[in-house]
Amino acid sequence: MKVRQNLELLYLLVLKDLKIRYKNSALGYLWALANPFAFAFVYWVAFKWIMRVEMENYSIFLITGLFPWLWLSNGVIQATRSYQNNATLVKKVKLWRPILPLSSVVQEMAHFLCTLPVIVAFLLITVQPMHLSWTWQVPLMILVQLLFTYSLASLLALANVFVHDVEYLVGIGFSLLFFATPMVYPLSMVPENYRIWFQMSPLHALVNSWREIMLHGRLDFSSAAYVMLSATLVGLISYRFYRKSSHRIGELL
Amino acid sequence: MRPPIITVEGLWKSYPGEARLGIKEFLLKRRPRSDGRYTRTWALQDISFSVQRGQSFGIVGHNGTGKSTLLSLLLGTILPDKGVVKVSGAVASLLELGAGFHPELTGRENLFLHGSILGMTLQQTRRAFNEIVAFSELGGAIDRPIRTYSAGMVARLGFSIVIHAPADVLLIDEVLDVGDMRFQEKCKAYLLDYVRRDGTLVIVSHDMETVASMCDRGMCLNLGTLTYQGPIDKVIEHYRTLMTADSELTANAVQ
Repeated sequence: MKVRQNLELLYLLVLKDLKIRYKNSALGYLWALANPFAFAFVYWVAFKWIMRVEMENYSIFLITGLFPWLWLSNGVIQATRSYQNNATLVKKVKLWRPILPLSSVVQEMAHFLCTLPVIVAFLLITVQPMHLSWTWQVPLMILVQLLFTYSLASLLALANVFVHDVEYLVGIGFSLLFFATPMVYPLSMVPENYRIWFQMSPLHALVNSWREIMLHGRLDFSSAAYVMLSATLVGLISYRFYRKSSHRIGELL
Repeated sequence: MRPPIITVEGLWKSYPGEARLGIKEFLLKRRPRSDGRYTRTWALQDISFSVQRGQSFGIVGHNGTGKSTLLSLLLGTILPDKGVVKVSGAVASLLELGAGFHPELTGRENLFLHGSILGMTLQQTRRAFNEIVAFSELGGAIDRPIRTYSAGMVARLGFSIVIHAPADVLLIDEVLDVGDMRFQEKCKAYLLDYVRRDGTLVIVSHDMETVASMCDRGMCLNLGTLTYQGPIDKVIEHYRTLMTADSELTANAVQ
């Protein structure tokens, strides 16, 4: 009963955010695509056209990494502020509080789902093969990323209640990590003796899993498992932190 | 006699000092002590009381004497340092009506969202929908965005939603100034009826008339301590003497 009620609340919260974003805009849903497209276009111009990265299907490579990345970074950045943004709810209503960062993450997931058909369209245009295995690989990977994004988001949201600086660090952190992860360049361009450091990042594993699925219809098991492992680890830390200090959220906001 | 629905025993609550520990303090490992900005201050000290089901309990006292803190503790959004707060039943609060509303959404959309925030299932909200709208007297305005509402309309909608959420205890913090006089009377009548149907009210107010007309028992807080509890007319009398004593003190200080 409680679970169902919270699922309904999650649905209404996400719906609220989406409605507010697009309610008074003429293009509505198309704006959900405009943002990732703009990013993809800028990077394509900068790296393919000006810097001339030598790579086949660079545009596909770019968007298959970029769109999941935007879900991750936008979701975590928004969630980090979610307790502050909903301070009155936290203080004046008794509710299951982790639902606030969760709704930020799910809202960004909805945007990501909107961009999935675009990836497929790009694959069609560039005459890449479609894969039947997507039917189970894509949902599985969505679940993996949801868990990873949420564990990180809930941890940082809670930390931000105690130390406000976290939200600024998160913003800067994602800008740096974007270029420290093979997003706009392939891993093969990284000098060989540094490559191991890039491979150790769970963010690379995440992006890499998505690319393997979308480009080759192959689930890179070790990458996906590595993301899952990191999600579990961060999730456990987040859970323990929450258990120990969540009772202070109400008085610190 | 039935066990009380609200039991508070030996309750102590402190708040952190005004200064927050930022990353600077964290990095420098500074735990300053002397100027009191980082020490916790007591908001409530050794409070004990209980309220029976079907009673209406009033809390009076000056600003900043811990009345709102006490309501938050009853609601469960903050926890006590020491002591027991036990409420056996669902609690709803009329603290800051409509605070969770979003101006761009319509009254209807806000109604469903707010109902869910208050713990109602979609089914329950759907069933209560007509009644809520009727009580709020919003009529066709329910499908207009909240930003077009007057302050009174927002408060009316907020009040109507809260009282339709299933609750055994209602916490009320100075919000009986809902809309015009007539609507206020309607709210009061509703709450009195709610008490008659075995609901429990806890009311914080500076308006002694409201407290006198709505409550049967109560208590007076002063600087975080309980100075008197008992029948409501005695509580109000006590509060009046406290006020006079304070204003005499201030008058003396000015001279």
